[in-house]
Amino acid sequence: MGKSWLRAYILKRLLYAVIIAWGILTVTFVLVRVGPSSPADRYLANMTASGQDVSQIVEAIEARYGLDKPMHEQYIEYMGNLFQGKLGWSFSNSMPVIDLIKTHWIYSFQLILLSSIFAALLGVVVGIYSAVKQYTKTDYIATFFSFVGISLPNFWLGVMLILVFSVKLGLFKTYYDTGLPLFSLDNLKALVLPVMTLGTGMLAGYVRYTRSAMLDNLRKGFVTTARAKGLPERTVIGKHVFRNALLPLVTIVMFDLGSIVFGGAYLTEIVFGIPGLGQISFNAIFANDYPVVVAVTLIGTSIVLLVNLVTDVAYTYLDPRIRYD
Amino acid sequence: MNAMSNVILKITNLKTHFFTRRGVVKAVDGVDFELRRGECLCLVGESGCGKTVTALSILGLIDSPPGRIVDGEVRYDNLDLVKCSARQLRQIRGKEIAMVFQEAQSALNPVLTVGDQIIEQMKIHLPMEHREARNRALSLLEEMGVPSVERVMSSYPHQLSGGMKQRALIAMSLTCDPQILIADEPTTAVDVTIKAQILDIFRDLKAKRQMSLVFITHDLAVVAEIGDRAVVIYGGKNIESAPVSEIIGSPKHPYTAGLIGCLPDISQTTDRLASIPGNTPSPIDLPQGCSFHPRCSKVMEVCSQREPAQIAISQEHQVSCHLNQ
Repeated sequence: MGKSWLRAYILKRLLYAVIIAWGILTVTFVLVRVGPSSPADRYLANMTASGQDVSQIVEAIEARYGLDKPMHEQYIEYMGNLFQGKLGWSFSNSMPVIDLIKTHWIYSFQLILLSSIFAALLGVVVGIYSAVKQYTKTDYIATFFSFVGISLPNFWLGVMLILVFSVKLGLFKTYYDTGLPLFSLDNLKALVLPVMTLGTGMLAGYVRYTRSAMLDNLRKGFVTTARAKGLPERTVIGKHVFRNALLPLVTIVMFDLGSIVFGGAYLTEIVFGIPGLGQISFNAIFANDYPVVVAVTLIGTSIVLLVNLVTDVAYTYLDPRIRYD
Repeated sequence: MNAMSNVILKITNLKTHFFTRRGVVKAVDGVDFELRRGECLCLVGESGCGKTVTALSILGLIDSPPGRIVDGEVRYDNLDLVKCSARQLRQIRGKEIAMVFQEAQSALNPVLTVGDQIIEQMKIHLPMEHREARNRALSLLEEMGVPSVERVMSSYPHQLSGGMKQRALIAMSLTCDPQILIADEPTTAVDVTIKAQILDIFRDLKAKRQMSLVFITHDLAVVAEIGDRAVVIYGGKNIESAPVSEIIGSPKHPYTAGLIGCLPDISQTTDRLASIPGNTPSPIDLPQGCSFHPRCSKVMEVCSQREPAQIAISQEHQVSCHLNQ
């Protein structure tokens, strides 16, 4: 059975993705640019400090970056550049946006990757265990803590973790040390609290989703069939039940990714002073540095759209009954 | 002739209760029967009478909690299956005693190929290579009258018709050459022509493989066609057991007689089909005395006071009814 229809489907989805990304970028661009202040303001502040003439400088800057043109012209110019792969110039950092992103993306990436691995592995194991031992003490404890974990705002959790583990117990530094080499134990240690901060909410969610997806399938007829065949319980649960629970689980995990990339990771980076994309985007918003804001939004949007597509394609392998026509 | 050595499975006073919030559901409340080598024994009764729970209890497949076998013995090959460890039971399930469930659609795992599901138990129970197991699966499917077996092996359940799925299930149950096959209403979910073909398969199993069959059905026409002996179950107890010809020719229990009276006779035209008045009693509170007395047309005073004992009409025919005391 070939999946020839899948290629056409992927192409169609990629086209949609480009349209959606374009829409989001446009909205972001307009939102950032309708503000009363100009990206030149910050630039200016730096210049006036060295005693130069204000109005001349503003004009010079605006002329140089095309900020004196009407907004729709700026928009067309920006989009045109973007189309050629040029992300523009960061006013507040005085460097090309692409260079800024190149130095900072890895900090966000390591945080999100480690948090996802931590949350997914632990969440699935605890969720399965909780479902198999439904209504036992273990299940109640897991359910209780997943409730708590989901309810905690992660910026608050981050501050509390710093208070307890860094300030009181002195086990970790209170901020993320950027001087450490990326692939070192020290860096891993520095990421423990940030990963707990970002990962706890994800973990709690995964426990709950896994538990309910497993429970949905545990009482199905094919489970009795599997047991009646004399299969060991590990195979019954791990192969027969979990394979069926995987589909709703993957859906929700991938759905969550958007809020993690745009929400949780931003806040966690700010609480711990991690110089990731969230941090630079956060600073850029206050500096009216729209090329940075739009570029980071573009990256986040692309990741979410791409992951959604990969998820939908993965469905067809997880559940042979699914076809997109 | 030594009757005992001929008995392959003997069930004595089996009681399986479910402990629910609304009360104790006595789904099986004292079932006795024996299965002889090479015979087809039919368990007959309306839905909810305890046939399926009896079958599941034999292999210890009752979900616990809430269910539990509270009393009785299931003797197979000098083992009491009720007292066996989970490990011992796993070695018997599928290998010594196999089961075919009703509704092949839900009994097969939707996300695994039919071939995978047929093969997996051979790898657990038998010292078999994948190739060998695969070849055996192919030849069994062929024996079940499945066309283009290679394609069926790599298909997922939703790609097959109901009859094909039922055949695949039967093939699956035969992979390890079990001593006993328990079939739970295997002809209920398929249409009439398929039903006839499935019954032929079971008849062949008995004739060619000398398989001992427990055939669960609510359909007396099926009993007449395939059964050697029949056990009629009502309210979680067996109320009459006899060779099929005797059960149908001269039933001693009013319930059995009622069931036979319900069979439509196509030589006569009637507006209404005959039925037994009333419903199967709720297994949470079974009627006092004989559990059939509220529906019985020949009810006597004693019926609501005392439970009838099982008496032997002949060596082969037992009945539990005050009419025969």
